[in-house]
Amino acid sequence: MKPLLFLLFLTATSMPAQPVAASAEGKALFRSNCAFCHGLTGLGGRGPSLASAHVGALPDSEIQSIIKNGIPGTTMPSFEGFDAAELGQLIGFLRALGSGPVTAHPGGDAAHGAAVYQASGCAGCHRIGNSGSIYGPELTRIGSARSWAYLKESLAAPSADISPDYEGVAVTLKSGKKVTGLRLNEDTFTLQLRLPDGSFLMLPKSDAAEVRHLDKSIMPAYTTLPERSLNDLLAYLGTLRGTATGAAVDKAAGVH
Amino acid sequence: MRMMMGFLLAALALPAQVNPERLNHALDEPQNWLTYWGDYSAVRYRTLKQINAGNVKNLRVEWIFQSGKGGIAETVPLVVDGVMYATLGDGIAVALDAQSGRQLWRYQYVFPAGVKATGANRGFAILGDRLFMVTPDSHVIALEAKTGKLIWNTEMAPWKSGTHYATLAPLAVKDKVIVGISGGEQGVRGFVDAYDAATGKRAWRFWTIPLKHEKGGDTWDADSAERGGGPAWMTGTYDPQLNTVYWGIGNPGPDLDGGVRKGDNLYSCSLVALNPDDGSLKWHFQFTPHDTHDWDAAETPMLLDLPWQGKMRKLVVQANRNAFFYVLDRETGEFLMGKPFARQNWAKRLDAKGRPILLPHTEPSPEGTHLCPGLAGGTNWMAPSYNPETKMFYFAVREQCDVYYAEPQKYVEGKGYWGSVSRGVTDEKEWGSLRALDPLTGATKWDFRYYRAPWAGTLTTAGGLVFSADEDGYLMAFDAKSGTNLWKFNTGTGHLVTSPMTYSVKGRQYLTMPAGGAIITFALP
Repeated sequence: MKPLLFLLFLTATSMPAQPVAASAEGKALFRSNCAFCHGLTGLGGRGPSLASAHVGALPDSEIQSIIKNGIPGTTMPSFEGFDAAELGQLIGFLRALGSGPVTAHPGGDAAHGAAVYQASGCAGCHRIGNSGSIYGPELTRIGSARSWAYLKESLAAPSADISPDYEGVAVTLKSGKKVTGLRLNEDTFTLQLRLPDGSFLMLPKSDAAEVRHLDKSIMPAYTTLPERSLNDLLAYLGTLRGTATGAAVDKAAGVH
Repeated sequence: MRMMMGFLLAALALPAQVNPERLNHALDEPQNWLTYWGDYSAVRYRTLKQINAGNVKNLRVEWIFQSGKGGIAETVPLVVDGVMYATLGDGIAVALDAQSGRQLWRYQYVFPAGVKATGANRGFAILGDRLFMVTPDSHVIALEAKTGKLIWNTEMAPWKSGTHYATLAPLAVKDKVIVGISGGEQGVRGFVDAYDAATGKRAWRFWTIPLKHEKGGDTWDADSAERGGGPAWMTGTYDPQLNTVYWGIGNPGPDLDGGVRKGDNLYSCSLVALNPDDGSLKWHFQFTPHDTHDWDAAETPMLLDLPWQGKMRKLVVQANRNAFFYVLDRETGEFLMGKPFARQNWAKRLDAKGRPILLPHTEPSPEGTHLCPGLAGGTNWMAPSYNPETKMFYFAVREQCDVYYAEPQKYVEGKGYWGSVSRGVTDEKEWGSLRALDPLTGATKWDFRYYRAPWAGTLTTAGGLVFSADEDGYLMAFDAKSGTNLWKFNTGTGHLVTSPMTYSVKGRQYLTMPAGGAIITFALP
């Protein structure tokens, strides 16, 4: 089922709808409200590329609802302040994006990509569904949440963009022991980390001789993967869309 | 015995009326907190020292007042002879027993039919036996201090959703109540008003933005002054000897798009010195001409008398949102000094008159311009304090930059008039600190770093202490000389958005800090 869906997705992107002209107002609204995550041109960044048929196929009412309410369970927040005219201008901008030429990517063999995922030890830090580790970001719907280009960069240069939820901290305790973990919370006086085994480390900063915020990602760079394996892995990640519709919320199960 | 009785009676009779003389000498009543700033000069220093550097580690919660309604408390309560008067948001106010936190009365402003206004409030002014506050729909009201009963209710500006509003604590001067309007992001034209304390009748209005035909009107392009902003959303200070009120004026509008309002845009981002009797302008000093980054000059204009280059001078000092600390002569408005205190990359330096010499590429743009400080500023409306013993100025520093966007925007009444937006810089962590400055040189004496940029002000006492709060919920006490952290309490809220105050009742000293929707009061066991 999954490969078929993916194929449909690819087919759709290769058949752009009628080009739509975006208004200056729509562009301005997009730049000041959306570009922070979706990039100045909407081709993706920390948030997904919006220049896809996936977005283009959504009816206005659905896009309006996403903008107004955000997407629960994802980093897409709600933007309640737009009036109907502004929503129309924004949607016009999004439709124009989807109607233009979309940067093609080479595609790949998703089934082989799944094997590359297993062989490369990704599950040691990441979780898909209920399998894998809780240490790194969950990848269950990563194919919906990030563009192909962003994922490629994340594999080759993980430090290029580190989500605030996954910042690494290296602590040297006064006992001399060194630990590295992901920051769950920090304030002026205390620190709470998640350690690689999934457990919590909670300490007053006065217990630490040094607290160092890593400016690099904890994830290693996968620079030695052969080009084909990398593309297959990216193809596999592209199939990870949470539910069949790409929604993050499994409403039937009551799971967010 | 009779003499003693007479003395007691006099002592009992005295507190009934908070007359202007008591307000002029508010620092001489350290047991009370008689104005928003604690006194007219806004030093936020108290001679109380029961709680001191030696015992502050034992400080503990005495009572918590959970308001239930009124949102996040931004108030600084007044305390008069054992009674605490606090405003909350949404037109609510309470009187509390300052020892127990028990409610004496509660007031709810009745909004006119059809008015749907909510919002924060920063506190009361008191004069005689009356309390004065503003409402979210831009009214000024007077309440009976003993009962909370409404005495008069005057409209400052007609209510319309998304235009004017009001949040500040009024300033009572002689027989008047001075207030200012908010709405710098809504295309309003700002003003400072005075109302007769007895009747509620408006005595004068100072428009913060001059129109074409008026003095200063030529600093605005075309008719842009009519929507020019310049809100007066924080309380001013007052010098009784000079008979002058000092008021910090907010940003010009639209905030980020300066293209439609070429010129210096007076009196936005300025300090204005006004005659409290008639509202006439004595002098002004503009910190940020033609501001395009929302750098209001609403920060506390603190009045200090200090030896400036060997000669005593009457000064007004302000740590400004634009990241410079300023010293002016408060008789003349003469610029004496301006020193950056936080990261800034917008001004090369200030010239001899205090006017900034701009660096290139600092204007907001369609593509976004990365600039420090961010929209919220190097500091903001949270109150600083000054301790005459350490001779240090204590204030909250925010280290945070933004990407500023600008787009031409058509003004529509009732809608925000920002001229685009600002966004935090991705991957760049904000932080902040509590800073002690020598106000005569701008030199840092000590600095205590916070994990996040704070929104809470400071208080300093003869107990050798500075109190303040960070953005993670800690209320803290510091050694005023060294900056050593001596005590902390996790209030459990990230909403510490006002300034601590202190008072005493029956010889026992209390420390109060509104936190989230609560008012928390501490004392020694």
